[in-house]
Amino acid sequence: MLAFCNVTKRFGNITALDDVSLEIAPGEFFGLLGPNGAGKTTLMSLAAGLRTPEAGTVALDGRPVASGASAARRALGLVPQTIALFPELTADENLRIFGELQGLRGPELRTRIDEAFTAAQLTDRRHSLVKTFSGGMQRRLNLVAALLHRPKLLLCDEPTVGVDPQSRNAIFEYLQRLNRGGVTIIYSTHYMEEAARLCSRIGIIDHGKILALGTLDELLVQLPFEDEITFPVDPATAPLVARLAAEGEITAVDGMHRFRPRTGYPLSAFFALTESLNLPPRLFVSQRPTLEALFLHLTGRTLRDA
Amino acid sequence: MFWRAKAAVAITFLVPIVLIYLFGHVFGLYRKDSGPVGIPIAVVNLSQEPAALKLIEALKAEKAFRVITTRDLGNGATRPLTEADVRAGLHDNWYRYALILPADLLPDDAFGVRMKFLFNPRNEIEAQTVNGLLQKTVFSNVPQLLGQSLQKRARRFLGDERFERFNRTIANTLADNFGGDREKIYQQAISGDLGFSELNRTEAGKTPAPPPGLRRLDAAPAPNGPDAQSQSSKLEGQKSAAAPPQDQKSSTDIFSQMVKIETEQVAGKEVKNPMAARLVGGYAIMFLLMAVSASATTLFEEKNSGVFQRLLSSPVRPAHILWARFLFGVILGLVQITALFCAGRVFFGLDIFRHAGALFAVALSAAAACSAFGMLVAAISPSAAAANGISTFVVISMSAVGGAWFPVSFMPDYIQTVSKFTLVYWSVEGFTDVLWAGRSLLEVLPTIGILAGIAAGVMAVAVWCFNRGKLFD
Repeated sequence: MLAFCNVTKRFGNITALDDVSLEIAPGEFFGLLGPNGAGKTTLMSLAAGLRTPEAGTVALDGRPVASGASAARRALGLVPQTIALFPELTADENLRIFGELQGLRGPELRTRIDEAFTAAQLTDRRHSLVKTFSGGMQRRLNLVAALLHRPKLLLCDEPTVGVDPQSRNAIFEYLQRLNRGGVTIIYSTHYMEEAARLCSRIGIIDHGKILALGTLDELLVQLPFEDEITFPVDPATAPLVARLAAEGEITAVDGMHRFRPRTGYPLSAFFALTESLNLPPRLFVSQRPTLEALFLHLTGRTLRDA
Repeated sequence: MFWRAKAAVAITFLVPIVLIYLFGHVFGLYRKDSGPVGIPIAVVNLSQEPAALKLIEALKAEKAFRVITTRDLGNGATRPLTEADVRAGLHDNWYRYALILPADLLPDDAFGVRMKFLFNPRNEIEAQTVNGLLQKTVFSNVPQLLGQSLQKRARRFLGDERFERFNRTIANTLADNFGGDREKIYQQAISGDLGFSELNRTEAGKTPAPPPGLRRLDAAPAPNGPDAQSQSSKLEGQKSAAAPPQDQKSSTDIFSQMVKIETEQVAGKEVKNPMAARLVGGYAIMFLLMAVSASATTLFEEKNSGVFQRLLSSPVRPAHILWARFLFGVILGLVQITALFCAGRVFFGLDIFRHAGALFAVALSAAAACSAFGMLVAAISPSAAAANGISTFVVISMSAVGGAWFPVSFMPDYIQTVSKFTLVYWSVEGFTDVLWAGRSLLEVLPTIGILAGIAAGVMAVAVWCFNRGKLFD
C-alpha cells in the first residue's frame, strides 16, 4: 500500500532519513519505534506528502505521494504529534472545518461528525471550546479529526504523548477497532509497550536508519537470549552473580541485576543454583525479553537514554 | 533568558533606537533649518506692476515654497497660469495654495494693494504654516507695493508733466543735500521705491517680520487653527474679505484698508467636520496595519500547533493557505475601516455616504495593501516574536514617513521621496481625497491603482519568500 524506496531526507547537514526502504501492506498496523530524533516524524511527513525526499520515492498505491495528487491525499489521514486543532473554536466547529476541507458537505458531513464524537466519547462536549478540554480529550479529538473522510491509511505520529492512562486505553481500543475495520495504520512511538501491544509489525529506527523490521516475535528472536531474569542488587545475591557470569550476560541497572542466559541454558539449572545458595524464589522475576532489550542490543543504548 | 530572546531584546533596545533615529530624519532634526520645504504654491500674475515680480521673487526665495507660475503645455512649451488653471490645480491637489495678483493689484481708484488667496486646507498644520509664511512674505513687500500705489495715484492726480517735475524736484533736493546720483534717485522715486527695498535687505538679506499689528494674516486667516477657529468657521465655504480681530482692529484698520486680500477656500467647504475628515484616514490606516500584521503572525501559531500539517496532508496546498490568509486580512481590514468610519460618523458627523462607492474602493485597496504587507512580514520573519518586532518597527516608521501623523511637506526632501513608496502615504491620500475633497470613484482611480499595485507587488514578494522559507516545513 505504502512504499518507501531508498528514501533519503536531509535538513542541512543532518541526515534525517538515510536510504530507507520499507513497505506497508494493506490492513497492517505498523509500528515505528525509536527515540526522539530518530527520524519517525520525518518518515511520517514524507508519507503524508508534507515533504519531498532528496532521494528515493514514497508511493501510496503506486502513486507518488509528494506529487500533490488529491486522490492520494484523500486516501490518508494524519494525526500530528501536536494538538492540531483551533483552541478558540468548539469541537464541532473544528471537525466541520476539517471535514469541509476534505470535501465533505451537508448530511454526510453531519453524520461523520456525529460518528467521530461517538468514537471519541465527546458527544456531550461537542459544543465546548477545545481550549477547555483536558489533554486526553484534545488527543481524542485530534485523532478523530483525521478520520472524518475515512482514510484507507492513518498516520499516527506519537498520538498519546502526555495522555492519561484512561484516554490512552481509549485511543488504543479505537485504533484497534479501526484496524480491524480495514484501515491501515502507521503508528510512531518511543514507548515500546505501545508498539508491542498494538502493532502487527514493527520497525525500529534510529539515526535515520531502519535497524530491524518484523513482527514482535521475529524481532525478539534476533536477541542472543530467550529469557530475562531480574533480581535485586544485594550482598545476598553477590555469590549468584559470580556464578552466573559464565552462563550468560549479566548487567546491573537501577538497583536490579538483569541476567540474560545464553541460548540452551536451562532455567531449571538457574533455580537449582538459587536453591543451593538459599535465595528465596520471590527475589527473581523471569520474563520474555522486550523491545527495549532489542533496542539496547542493536544500539548499545536504552530507548530512554537515546 | 531575556538576553537570549533576540526578538525581545531587539524590540526593547534596537527598535526604539532605530525609530528615534528615523524620527529625527522625519522631523528634520538633522537639518540646520527646520520647517517645511518645497510646498507648492501657484502664483497667477495678472499685474504689470514691477513690484508684483518682486513679490514673486520674494516667494521664490522662501525655501518653504516651490512657486509655480506657469503651466506646462508639452514639448517644453509653457504659458503663465490663469485663475481657472489654479482652481483646477487646487481641486486636483496638484497644489493646495494659490496667490492671484490681479490686474488691479494697485488699483487706479484707490490707494492700496489688492490680491486674492485661494487655498485648500487639506492638512491643517500645513495650512496654518503656509498662511504664516505667506503673510510674512507679503507684508515684507507691502511698503514697496504701497509706494508704487502712491506714485500711481500721484501721477493720476498731478498729470504726467507735473508728476515728473515733482519727482525731479525731490530727486534734486535729495541729491543736493545728501549726495547721490540724481537720475538714480529719480528712477527709484517714480518706481515707488522710497527706500523700502533697502529696508528689506537689512541683516544680510533677511526679510523683516511684518509689523506687530499684522502678525495675523488679516487677509488669509489660518483655517481651522485654534486661535482662528471663530474666524475660519466664518470664512470656510465663503469668499471673504479679510477683517482683523477685534482686539487689533484699531491698529490695523488703516492697514486693512490699504491691503485687501480676498481669501477663498476652494475645497472641503462642505465638509461637516473638517478635523475628522483630515485625520481619520491616517489613523485608520495605522490601526489597519497593526491589526492585519498581527493577524498574519498567527500563521506561526498554526504552524507550531500542527494545523498546517493537518491541512497540508489534505488536498489543501500552501498557496491556498496563503491566499486564504490574505483574503482574511482584506476582509478584516474592510470591517475594521468600516467600523472606524461608522464611529467617525456617530461621534464626529463624518460624511461617509457622500461618496460611499469611492470610499469603499479606497478602503478595499488599502486593506489589500495592508494585508499583503502583513503577509510579507510573516514571510520574512523566522518566528512570531520576530514578526511582531518587525511589524511594530515598520508600522510605526511607515506611519510617520507616510504622513499618518504629520504633514509630509514638513519633512526633508529625501523623506518626502521615500514617503511616496509607502502604502500609508497613498492610503492617506485616498481617504483624504474622498472625505475631504469629495472626489468621485473615477477621480480616485489612480490612487486606487497605486494601492492595488502595491498590494500585488508586495504579495508577489511575500509568496516568493514563503516558497523559499520554512513556514511550511
